[in-house]
Amino acid sequence: MSTNEETNVNVAEGIDHQVAMVMDLNKCIGCQTCTIACKSLWTESGGSEYMYWNNVETKPGEGYPRGWEDSGGGWTDDGSERQTGEIPSREDYGRSWEFNHSEIMYEGSDEPLRPREGAEWGPNWDEDQGAGEYPNSYYFYLPRICNHCTHPSCVEACPRQAIYKREEDGIILADQERCRGYRYCVEGCPYKKVYYNAVSKKSEKCIFCYPRVEGEGPDGETYAPACAEECPPQLRLVGFLDDEDGPIYKLVEEYEVALPLHPEFRTEPNVYYIPPYAPGQHTEDGESVDVDRIPRQYLRELFGDEVDQALNTIERERQRARQGADSELMELLQHKNPAKQYRLGVFDD
Amino acid sequence: MTDERTRALATALVVGALVLGSTIALASPVVDARPAHEIPVTERSDADLASPTAEGWSSVPASDVALSSAPSSVPNAADTSVERVHVQAVRSDGQFYVRLQWEDPTRNTSSEGPEQFVDAAAVQFPADTSSRPPIAMGGQDNRVNVWYWGGDGTTQEILAGGAGSTTPFPSPAVDANAAYEDGTWTVVYTRSVASESANRTDLDSTDTLDVAFAVWNGGNGERAGRKSVSEWHYFLVGTGPQGPPYQTLLWTVAGIAIVAVVGVTAFGVRRARGGDDGGGS
Repeated sequence: MSTNEETNVNVAEGIDHQVAMVMDLNKCIGCQTCTIACKSLWTESGGSEYMYWNNVETKPGEGYPRGWEDSGGGWTDDGSERQTGEIPSREDYGRSWEFNHSEIMYEGSDEPLRPREGAEWGPNWDEDQGAGEYPNSYYFYLPRICNHCTHPSCVEACPRQAIYKREEDGIILADQERCRGYRYCVEGCPYKKVYYNAVSKKSEKCIFCYPRVEGEGPDGETYAPACAEECPPQLRLVGFLDDEDGPIYKLVEEYEVALPLHPEFRTEPNVYYIPPYAPGQHTEDGESVDVDRIPRQYLRELFGDEVDQALNTIERERQRARQGADSELMELLQHKNPAKQYRLGVFDD
Repeated sequence: MTDERTRALATALVVGALVLGSTIALASPVVDARPAHEIPVTERSDADLASPTAEGWSSVPASDVALSSAPSSVPNAADTSVERVHVQAVRSDGQFYVRLQWEDPTRNTSSEGPEQFVDAAAVQFPADTSSRPPIAMGGQDNRVNVWYWGGDGTTQEILAGGAGSTTPFPSPAVDANAAYEDGTWTVVYTRSVASESANRTDLDSTDTLDVAFAVWNGGNGERAGRKSVSEWHYFLVGTGPQGPPYQTLLWTVAGIAIVAVVGVTAFGVRRARGGDDGGGS
């Protein structure tokens, strides 16, 4: 790792700039519009049907693929050696179900429309289940894409250097020419964000919508990844981590309120999350009490111990804003100006 | 020379001939007596051996090649399961056939599931037969040709110059056919002897041709550098099915030596006895 000459931000060695994304989990409504925006662009056919490069899962929950948090991969605690990982089974990702459409539509059956068989697991199977007991049950949504890590274990895992971190912006791509489908990247990624295509016999992953980022569309304009642009509550900020004038730098580096998911995997993700800031618990009578609804320990497991400081900072700044003072942080978290929300052309020559 | 003496000598010669004959007869089908890394290439005419179950293979001598885990940086590289492969090779009518057989109790021919890997096998030659490349996929200046067969029906002809540089030829000149029966895979590779491009191994250039083998058990998660591999061996072209000349020569010399020793001993014993008889009379 090296420090970029022009900034104080750590980017991977040999990388000019690093794309990054901040997702504000307090805004996610679990509508899966990002999931579908991604799917309809990139993973609709040819063996990629089962893949969700972008998924939204309910936390606490098993996630997608099922149990990914316990599937290994990533690095040892000192970040020097890779940990072995497991390749999830097709069942863990979820098979597509066959429905009884033909019976109902053409054969006059009056049974309800439903999957024929095998509907025992699938992406988002445990949606909204969460944890806790009424009246203090809780859950939140966690949108996930490839983290385009600074210290990517998928890149290190490939014996052919088929998966690589590209120089200009740190986007991690799986070269479809070089890939031979060994799937060491699939098992090596602790977030399980590389997927094997059994038709092409190669592995695929989120490309951070690089053709959009590069302005390769018909109108030649630069766009943020589709998952961000299509988000109804606009919970994602897209830009460069080393763009010191951008909101991402401020949220990650200055205020330290945007945190990577599972920092203990030591891959140094470049997708960051504003942790969920849930209301306190209620008594049986419906009175609010000063007890965290989402157990703080659970958030620490997801985002590391830094989550305490991040939530304290947010709380402090909220109080400031409530009292009428200016709070740049609250402004940043509410900003609706797309020019600032998506800052992608800043390093263009 | 008395009758008795003649009879003894004749007996010795017959015994010697029997020893010689039986050693040659016993030794012929056993290829183990060859130099450890030599694999004979049988020359045939008019034999179509492209099918793994072709009748003609039964009379082609087989070599037993030991395999061990390839040194590799991939996880669990030392966890491989196939320990030997039987190799047969034939040249016939401008075609070069290599037949591999190995035991694998699980038949893995699908990678439909993300966690499934196929059984596979490969034969490696120097791309340029004038020198022997590094065993692990060759080197940058000394590349290898690899004939790769995968259990899902994939056949690839590959050029490589070191680990991680595997590159399939756009239009392979190698065919592979496979059969699985009773826990044993049999794969036959076929390529024309004539070399068709600069990066293809010239199968016709020399008497000996360096060759190495690799086998993957897909059911054990084996792929890439996690594989069972042989050391470099060499094909020796120009050996017929009647038995390899090296071995025949070896046993013929041994047989003659035995006959000579038996003969001389019998003759000596006879003479000594004759001398005693004369002295005692």
